[in-house]
Amino acid sequence: MLERHDTDILILGSGGAGLFAALHAQKAAPDAKVTIAVKGLIGKCGCTRMVQGGYNVALGHGDSVERHFMDTIKGGKWLPDQDMAWKLCEQAVVRVRELENEVGCFFDRNPDGSVHQKAFAGQTYDRTVHKGDLTGIEIINRLMEQVLSRPVERLQEHRAIGLIPAKDGSGLSGVLFIDMRTGGFRFVRAKAVLMATGGGPTMYKYHTPSGDKTMDGLAMALRAGLPLRDMEMVQFHPTGLLAGDHTKMTGTVLEEGLRGAGGHLLNGAEQRFMYDYDERGERATRDIVSRAIYAEMRKSNASPKGGVYISMAHLGPEHVAQKFKGMVKRCADCGFDLAGGKVEVVPTAHYHMGGVVVDPDTRTALPGLYVAGEDAGGAHGSNRLGGNGVANSTVYGGVAGDVMGAEATGALRDPDETILDNEIERASHPFAKKPGNSHNLRTALQEAMWDDAGVIRTQSGLERGIASVHEIGAELMEMGVDDTTRAFNLTWHDWLNLRSLCDISGVIAEAALARENSRGAHYREDFPEEGDLDTSYYTLATQKDGTLNVGRAPVAFTIVKPGETVLPDGEPETMVAAE
Amino acid sequence: MSDDASLKVSVWRGAEAGSFETFDVPMQESQTVLDLVAWVQQNADPTLAYRYACRVGMCGSCAMMVNGVPRWTCRTHVSKVAKDGTVEIAPLRNLPVIKDLAVDMDPFFDKWTAAGGAFSPTKSRDDTVEPILPETPERREADAAIECINCAVCYAACDVVSVNPDYLGPAALNRAWSLVNDVKDGALDARLTAVSGAGGCHNCHSQQGCVAHCPNELNPTASIAGLKRATVRAALKGRI
Repeated sequence: MLERHDTDILILGSGGAGLFAALHAQKAAPDAKVTIAVKGLIGKCGCTRMVQGGYNVALGHGDSVERHFMDTIKGGKWLPDQDMAWKLCEQAVVRVRELENEVGCFFDRNPDGSVHQKAFAGQTYDRTVHKGDLTGIEIINRLMEQVLSRPVERLQEHRAIGLIPAKDGSGLSGVLFIDMRTGGFRFVRAKAVLMATGGGPTMYKYHTPSGDKTMDGLAMALRAGLPLRDMEMVQFHPTGLLAGDHTKMTGTVLEEGLRGAGGHLLNGAEQRFMYDYDERGERATRDIVSRAIYAEMRKSNASPKGGVYISMAHLGPEHVAQKFKGMVKRCADCGFDLAGGKVEVVPTAHYHMGGVVVDPDTRTALPGLYVAGEDAGGAHGSNRLGGNGVANSTVYGGVAGDVMGAEATGALRDPDETILDNEIERASHPFAKKPGNSHNLRTALQEAMWDDAGVIRTQSGLERGIASVHEIGAELMEMGVDDTTRAFNLTWHDWLNLRSLCDISGVIAEAALARENSRGAHYREDFPEEGDLDTSYYTLATQKDGTLNVGRAPVAFTIVKPGETVLPDGEPETMVAAE
Repeated sequence: MSDDASLKVSVWRGAEAGSFETFDVPMQESQTVLDLVAWVQQNADPTLAYRYACRVGMCGSCAMMVNGVPRWTCRTHVSKVAKDGTVEIAPLRNLPVIKDLAVDMDPFFDKWTAAGGAFSPTKSRDDTVEPILPETPERREADAAIECINCAVCYAACDVVSVNPDYLGPAALNRAWSLVNDVKDGALDARLTAVSGAGGCHNCHSQQGCVAHCPNELNPTASIAGLKRATVRAALKGRI
């Protein structure tokens, strides 16, 4: 029933963080056995591949690491871990050169052959390197080729379900998996493990991440007793496609550039409304536009499916079809006319800034466990700048590979067999219950999180949300899965997905309750002010013996204090021309 | 459309050996083939196996045979493929079936590697990014082939692959052609050698099944023709 397997360096996930970690680990420790385990296929699941915008990096010509850093800190409303944000900005410069020169990416060029950098919201320099609007595909395809051409062991369609500590308490022993193709359990010991499964807030009714993302990593970390920070910080993208509850198209992103190019948002009465909320109209930042749309929806000014419209036709359908070719084609494939008609949209949960507490070398409180990418908290604080997500995953994935290569030198640790048995028991739980349809419960969870822990939050709503999450979680424990065959049994995985989502939904809602102000992506209608910046705190959630504890910790301004800057005297505030 | 309208959806069950099973799936206004498959698993038969990830045509995980034609199921509207109220969905052709609608894509990626699909660097992270003029003929050739998401739709459409399992196939060769034109790459002759062997580019009969079915409108046949010319030239010069 349980197969056992050993490796030296084990990597969970094959997005930007996981693939970079594999390359760096192998270079740092050429004799080490490197294994990459992933819930789907290598390079194909996860979210780095879905990056449309691009990669923020200061490449000179008036831009600097200092400027990128200040934009990241201000964008994160002074909550980021400053040492992590600094390393992100500093190492992005190296990582982009590595992507171009060693991995083989080709980013868009200016006519003179230099790398093109485009404008992205919330930044004071046009610094976003990109490959058209399909940057993630270029990055992941090239990384994937490099990994597949090397002797890296592959465990595909292996779902991680438990971090198993050593029996002597010295650190992490290894990771328990379900081999999804056979349905069997496999325990893999490793000297160093990188968790890079990518968060992905898919517990909301409308969400953008890929279907495999269900917060499994954070749920495992929570059970292992690791502290999680900034868990209330869920970024909503304002314009997700709204096509009905029955289709997986719903929630997928219609790109930011549509608004930037002059697209109009119209409410159910087909009136523009953004100027009622912000003087920049549709070009306001993601958080403001998301809240404005949500407010219109609450006022019953909604479109037939319950959102608002995005309308581009006034810009000339042919022009729109040419400028946004991919988006127009995607909408057309799904039956919508983006260029000439109106398309219904709704805010959609996009990215989770919260995650495991790590140091700038990706180490955690558990020796042998490293965390990078969306599973790690700290770099973005309360808000992630567009273009900093893929920079974060690739920078810290590489860092993790370097550090694991240097530190995976000791002996393998023997697992705590009791915890291993408990995790197997936990995952097998639904087979002992009467089979039901967990899909309805997932819908209930997504409705509860959307209504009560979503774009606009209040104390009473959050308390109601927490109660709902607990009820749904309890109901799930009474719902079973047919045990005829465990091989490629997606319904079993639906159950496990929902278990992870319930566990982390509870933490998000509790952390949102603990933050009594409004910062970045987190908006409390009952505490609308941002609070004193000098005494900024971040939330810290830890689970012990099944009890969740959410506290606050002061932000350490290790590099720059609120009101100050690291830019040299006389540097302009912004180098982006006003529109 | 009335609320009780439904489609007869035939779905492949089993592995290499198996049979179609038919389900009645309610029709909806906006509905993709992937939605049909998910509906069956969530509401009619919880044991149905399939694969998807991104939902938007970026990952290439959900390609299947729809009425005998390889397609991204996430981006195929039901109204485009339903015939007389029926849709037949099968696993992607030319790859081993794991279970039901999920195939093993490893052979496809092994060939990607065998065709020299991984970039071979000539510079390092310590060097600046090389200025490259975007409008040179080489760069245009490389760019024309680059937006492949390795979904294996072309591989499933290729009749040469189905008769010659060693053939590297359109996607891997298309990638090789992109790299042959990449001035940053340092393994030109090794790659031309890799694509000119027994399973290489000269197997292609230019039937253009790949071109007809590529959801990204790429032209692997043209890429393979480019490889044929380049390998012949290199052979005449004694380089490979």
